[in-house]
Amino acid sequence: MNYNFQFNVVWRNFDALLEGAWLTFQLGVFAFTAGLFVGLICAALKTYGPWPVRLLVNVYVVFITNTPALIQIYFLYFGLPDLGIRWSNEACVLIGLTLNAGAYLTMILRAGFLSVRTAEMEAGETLGMSLIQRIRYIVVPHIAKSIYPALANFFIVILVMGTSVGALIGVDELTGQAINLSSVNYRWLEYFTVTAGLYVVLTFVASLGLALVGRWAFRVRARIF
Amino acid sequence: MPHLAVSDVFAKYGKLEVLHGISFDVERGEVVSLVGPSGSGKSTVLRTLVGLTPVTGGHVDVDGTSIDYHSARAIKAARDRMAIVFQQFNLFQNMTVLRNVTLAPTKIKGRPKAEVEAEAIELLSLVGLADKRDAYPDELSGGQQQRVAIARALALKPEILLLDEVTSALDPELVNEVLDTVRRLAGEGMTMLLVSHEMSFVREVSNKVIFMDKGRVVESGPPGQIFDAPTSDRARDFFGKILRG
Ligand SMILES: Nc1ncnc2c1ncn2[C@@H]1O[C@H](COP(=O)(O)OP(=O)(O)OP(=O)(O)O)[C@@H](O)[C@H]1O
Ligand SMILES: [Mg+2]
Repeated sequence: MNYNFQFNVVWRNFDALLEGAWLTFQLGVFAFTAGLFVGLICAALKTYGPWPVRLLVNVYVVFITNTPALIQIYFLYFGLPDLGIRWSNEACVLIGLTLNAGAYLTMILRAGFLSVRTAEMEAGETLGMSLIQRIRYIVVPHIAKSIYPALANFFIVILVMGTSVGALIGVDELTGQAINLSSVNYRWLEYFTVTAGLYVVLTFVASLGLALVGRWAFRVRARIF
Repeated sequence: MPHLAVSDVFAKYGKLEVLHGISFDVERGEVVSLVGPSGSGKSTVLRTLVGLTPVTGGHVDVDGTSIDYHSARAIKAARDRMAIVFQQFNLFQNMTVLRNVTLAPTKIKGRPKAEVEAEAIELLSLVGLADKRDAYPDELSGGQQQRVAIARALALKPEILLLDEVTSALDPELVNEVLDTVRRLAGEGMTMLLVSHEMSFVREVSNKVIFMDKGRVVESGPPGQIFDAPTSDRARDFFGKILRG
């Protein structure tokens, strides 16, 4: 063990890593937010929809949650062009991650739909609220509060594990950028040490942000670690 | 013409028929109480009136006009005139007291926020909770929550208030604060249909008492008559157990 650490190379290219981290953050936030919409709609359909719709949602959820995210993104990036559908690598990562997050979030949010008290929903109904209004004013705040920690955890999963899949189809997010840079001068150990540190900072910042949002908007006392 | 006329109403939960032809009238400004053993269908009567449990026969008229329970729009219109408060878990847990009361008038009926809030605060004072406007339901006692639920129901200015055992989930010392609220509303001439096990209260506030058993009205009349001189064996038996047991 007489490896000679040289972090100078890494600091010289630190800007590029930061750019990668910023892209990772953007991808994570976008995929999570879009996935939240998909998940909310699917969970509502699964709870209140007619049976063919519920079946369709089940097929989507089972299909996505039982296949690796990498395969889904490869399918979009390498598979679809054969059908004449060509999307950029970033678009494929965004769409793939959104569909992926949407399926997992359907399952997470479904628990929230099921745990709303019937009496609250009936009270809403007799006060003249439509189903959509009840979802908006009763179910969503209930979910936000009761399963906020599960949602926040899932955001971290998407942010760290989800987005890094992009590296494999040439998206220069944090992992991709680290691979690019270290393959130029073979300082793998140094680059990946710093990259790991950046991921930790990223999740810490994200957790802190989520905890503050939770506390402020939903009266949730979330633990950060 | 009665304000509310329930005529030969049948209702089912799935295949199980629980109301087998219920009839009674409520006049404007009257307080009418439904009493009877557990499972006799009292809650179901209130639920069918606001369209939560489907009516499978008979009809309900408000001011002489029949409510078509097959039409979502007609049910909505009926809910504008009749408000219901359940036994428990009425309030929206994730909203403050004030928002619980103002949500439907502002967001559903589209009335101006300032005006609705002023009214809501008046209603909260009526139920003795003006100082709790910014509290969340889980910060209130059960009795306070029920009073907020009553205020919320009143915020939509219903003509008829339906109260389903609003005190039965409460500790004895909290019962009175809710009953006081109901008393006050009765004094103001609010038309009410209530289900209650508080017999002395029922006797005090009701103009008419309806005794139900097994999905049917067994007998009805002024409280004195029903409590002191019931004609049916079933009612005699029931009140005998409750009032003397
Ligand atoms: N959601 C439901 N599904 C199926 N059956 C129900 C449902 N709610 C009530 N029932 C049945 O309908 C009948 C009447 O019930 P209801 O709740 O109207 O009685 P109640 O007079 O209000 O009784 P209690 O005094 O105990 O509240 C009972 O036999 C009950 O088991
Ligand atoms: Mg009942």
